[in-house]
Amino acid sequence: MTATPSGGFTATGLVKRYRRGAEQVSALAGVDLEVAAGELVALVGPSGSGKSTLLAVLCGWETADEGRLAYRGALAGRRPDTLGWPELALVPQALGLVADLSLADNVLLPSRLRGSPAAGQPRAQDLLAGFGLTHLADRLPAQASLGEQQRAAVARALLLAPVVLLADEPTAHQDRGHADRLLDAVADAARAGSAVLIATHDEQAWARADRVLSMRDGRLTAGTSA
Amino acid sequence: MTRGLWRLPPWTRAPWLGLRRPAAVVAVLVTSAVLACAVASAPLFLSSARSAALQQQLAGQCAEAGWGRTQGFFAVPPGTPPAEVIAGLDGLRAGWAEQGRRSERVLQVQRAVGAGGNPQAGMLVRDPAGAPVTQPATLFWRPGATGHVQVVDSLDAPGVWLPAGYADAVGARVGDEITVSGRRVAVSGVYTDLFETDPGTYWCDHGDLYLNLVSANVPPPALVLATDQETFAQLAAAAGFAMVTEQVPADATTLSVTRARALAAAQERAARGSPAPAGGVEFLGGGWNGRLDDAIGRAELIAAGLRGPVVPVAVAGALLALALVAAAGSAWVDRRAAEVRLLAARGVGPVPLAGKAALELGVPALAGAALGWAASRLLIAGLGPADDLDPGATRAAVAAGIAAFVVGLAGAAGVAGLRAQGTAERPPGAAPRWPSRVPWEVALLVAAGWCWGLLQTRDAVVSDGGVAQVNGLLVAFPLLAVAGAAVLLARLLTALLPRLRRWAGHRGPAVFLAVNRLAAARLATATLLAAVTLPVAVLGYTATLTATSQTTLDAKVGVQIGATRAVVSVSRFAPTPAIDDVGTLVVRYDGSVAAAAGEGDGRGRRDVQVLAVDPADFASTAFWDESFADVPLPELLAALTGPEIDGRVPVVAAGLPPGDPGLRLGRAPVAAEVVAGARVLPGRRTADPVVLVAAGRLPEVERSAGAGRVAEVWTDGELGPAVDALVDAGGVRSRDLEPADVQQTANFLGLTWTFGYLSALAVFVGVIAVGGLLLHLEARSRTRVTGYVMARRLGLGRGTHLRSLLVELGGVAVTGLALGAAIAAAAVALVYRRLDVDLLRPPTPLLDVPWAAIGTTAAVTVLVPALAALYAQRAADRADPATVLRE
Repeated sequence: MTATPSGGFTATGLVKRYRRGAEQVSALAGVDLEVAAGELVALVGPSGSGKSTLLAVLCGWETADEGRLAYRGALAGRRPDTLGWPELALVPQALGLVADLSLADNVLLPSRLRGSPAAGQPRAQDLLAGFGLTHLADRLPAQASLGEQQRAAVARALLLAPVVLLADEPTAHQDRGHADRLLDAVADAARAGSAVLIATHDEQAWARADRVLSMRDGRLTAGTSA
Repeated sequence: MTRGLWRLPPWTRAPWLGLRRPAAVVAVLVTSAVLACAVASAPLFLSSARSAALQQQLAGQCAEAGWGRTQGFFAVPPGTPPAEVIAGLDGLRAGWAEQGRRSERVLQVQRAVGAGGNPQAGMLVRDPAGAPVTQPATLFWRPGATGHVQVVDSLDAPGVWLPAGYADAVGARVGDEITVSGRRVAVSGVYTDLFETDPGTYWCDHGDLYLNLVSANVPPPALVLATDQETFAQLAAAAGFAMVTEQVPADATTLSVTRARALAAAQERAARGSPAPAGGVEFLGGGWNGRLDDAIGRAELIAAGLRGPVVPVAVAGALLALALVAAAGSAWVDRRAAEVRLLAARGVGPVPLAGKAALELGVPALAGAALGWAASRLLIAGLGPADDLDPGATRAAVAAGIAAFVVGLAGAAGVAGLRAQGTAERPPGAAPRWPSRVPWEVALLVAAGWCWGLLQTRDAVVSDGGVAQVNGLLVAFPLLAVAGAAVLLARLLTALLPRLRRWAGHRGPAVFLAVNRLAAARLATATLLAAVTLPVAVLGYTATLTATSQTTLDAKVGVQIGATRAVVSVSRFAPTPAIDDVGTLVVRYDGSVAAAAGEGDGRGRRDVQVLAVDPADFASTAFWDESFADVPLPELLAALTGPEIDGRVPVVAAGLPPGDPGLRLGRAPVAAEVVAGARVLPGRRTADPVVLVAAGRLPEVERSAGAGRVAEVWTDGELGPAVDALVDAGGVRSRDLEPADVQQTANFLGLTWTFGYLSALAVFVGVIAVGGLLLHLEARSRTRVTGYVMARRLGLGRGTHLRSLLVELGGVAVTGLALGAAIAAAAVALVYRRLDVDLLRPPTPLLDVPWAAIGTTAAVTVLVPALAALYAQRAADRADPATVLRE
């Protein structure tokens, strides 16, 4: 339904520092990373290792203090904060569902905001059905469990088959069965050409990933090479 | 277990824990302030109204009307030495001194023992040559009296001062001696007659001594001033009588009823407790200032009339505010959700949870109650009828503030406890509980219907001693009806939101997002809608009824006088250009017409008032409202200049059918034909019909006809030019007609203040609605900002989001505005005809819609949500996506 995803991104020497009182914290301490189109990369590491900060820098919500980030292919030369949902979709830790829209409307929102809700409807229904959300489609996020909300957030990210998909702990609140379905869908997206990077503690995600990168103290410590 | 809970940190540290959630603290502080303000303002307002009613009555009188005054009449034996006379008159002063007050003395001799030994009015005066003078004199002494007159001539010596006109009559000059009541006294001063000057406030209360107020044939005795008490005492001993007034000045412009009552009681005690006069002086009788008692009584009456409507309004405001405090308690649960849920999940019951809430919210609730009390005091001082409050009212307001704190905190804590327990027990997506689905507001409508039923059997406005009082039902009915209808309509409209949501699915993103936000928070939407509808409806209702009653009062005065003012004369004179310049000349006749069966005086006649007018300029001066007739006044007057009908003069009438009325002016028949009619005509002073006829077409009516001819100059301007025009035309001014002569303003204060208080409640509710809107935005800001930040990434434009906020908040406001206006219109239509403040005088109530006030309300109603939308948009724009979406 959308153009075949192409491209990926390369990050070189990304550094991000914060001040926490008098202390200076290096959330990213020189991260080199490359994710290619069609590749599923799992990013693992303990809490506070810098995974979420890295995703925030990659999607443009934060700017690196040092280093370089370059998107490739059709996205080449674009700043990440200018990329639209079909180009860069994400699943943030807080999910970011619109509280006043039903789960179905949340999933369909990217299409609606592009003026073509009808065009996205079949794919949205497929995703809702695939994630076991059809019977909850009319519920507001607050009327659904955290796991159900998370599945809706992933469905929304997948709706427009993005060129790049970034997901922060997308299976954190799932039982095994639903986690597998989510990981299958993410892997399918990668097979369809998306460049996918997921931060996760889920060992099943590691198994499905093309590569697993380990992060600690703001640095990639293992599996850095492609 | 429960007892032990109170010793655990969540309770022992609760007063400090509350401060960690400033939003909940601020919510409780503000809502407690609103509650305390609502309950404390009622006693303060009633006291303020009482003071203002007193002050306004006294303002229309001489300053002495509001002073403490005792008076005594004394017989003074001839030959009593002056010192003994003065000592004998000191009793009243001693009476005041016993009350701890210092009084000012006024001495008069208004009568004297005559030649036959009987009392007679005034003191007999003989000229310097010893010849008697026809006009007697009144002797007067008051500190500074000779300093408050225009001096013609004077000596610095004891004696008496004569008015210039009297000095001429007596043939006395300064330095001469005249005889007053048989005693020789020096003329040490001559002053200009007071009736020829503007004597000022000093003489205001003594007008009866120098003005012919009762238009008697004989002028009052001449006002002779004694230069000192000793001179006065000598002459009083000669006259045989003296009158003493001891007065304690008070500033009537700042007088409260309590202080006035204390003054009135003091003067009564001073009068009753005065020692018997010493020496040969004999006390004949006395009294005290009855005008102060009258003013106090009327002020109490006005305030009593206010109590009926004000109490239900205050109760309604307090209940509303209590609901807000309870909502703040609910907000505390949201803000402390994590801890509260944990405690509830571990089996902590609603009572300890409510106790924890009370401990956390106690200090802000107390501070809020104190602030609310202070706010009510400031509001009444700034906006109330008067700033002079009774101490009892302040004490009552303090008690009300304390009660508001206790009840408010209990309410907030109770709701917090129950809701905290319920939150932990209810799974996500659970259906709302049954109480929220019951339309409780129908009970309000039933109560309103009951009030309306009662109102059908009672007067909406009653007059008690001339004081108009609003029946409390007239306030309770619309309040209940408006509140019930507002909530019911809000509930019905929000029930349509799911359908609206489906419709919005086919609209653009702005409308889609707005409608979904409204539908997702249905209760908040309904509450906001009711919160907008209620003040709009109450304001529309009160503003319209206030304007209507004022317009009706003005119209009654206008109809009674005929124009804004009038000067009346019994002399005959012709109209002049000067009269035409200031207004119009109207000649009034006592007339009669042939009565229909069952009407009239039993001799087949019915009285009418006949006004001979100048059709050319009558319409431009006469008071007129388009409701008085089906056609404009100029058109009616044009009929007066039409051709005669079978030799009869065309006339216009109110209260007579078309045709030949068989008109007579006095006993003189006038061939007339009623060619046009009106419901009301200006100049109607009795319940009889009014007939207008062109003055130029009316035959000359002889004095012997007994038509009671009176000429009147009607004017829309000041009285002075009209008087001048009348005098220049050769008329003698008999009396003036001013609006204040027709209606005592103070009598209708209760009416104005009742609706004013109701309007204040509406503004109060409006302020609450604005506060509620901001709280609503603040409470939902986190989810809104999170959704906005993510939606921006999804492709939502900033402008689209702002439009969605405008549609969301503006939609509620405009809908509330429309509902409020419709409810107000319905309530006004039901009530306004019953709001006749004076049944005796036409016209019946005239509906006056205050478009400016309504337009302002509409503008504010639209502006506030627009500003709120901009505020919400700004808050969303300032959010940091990385921070928002990581939490």
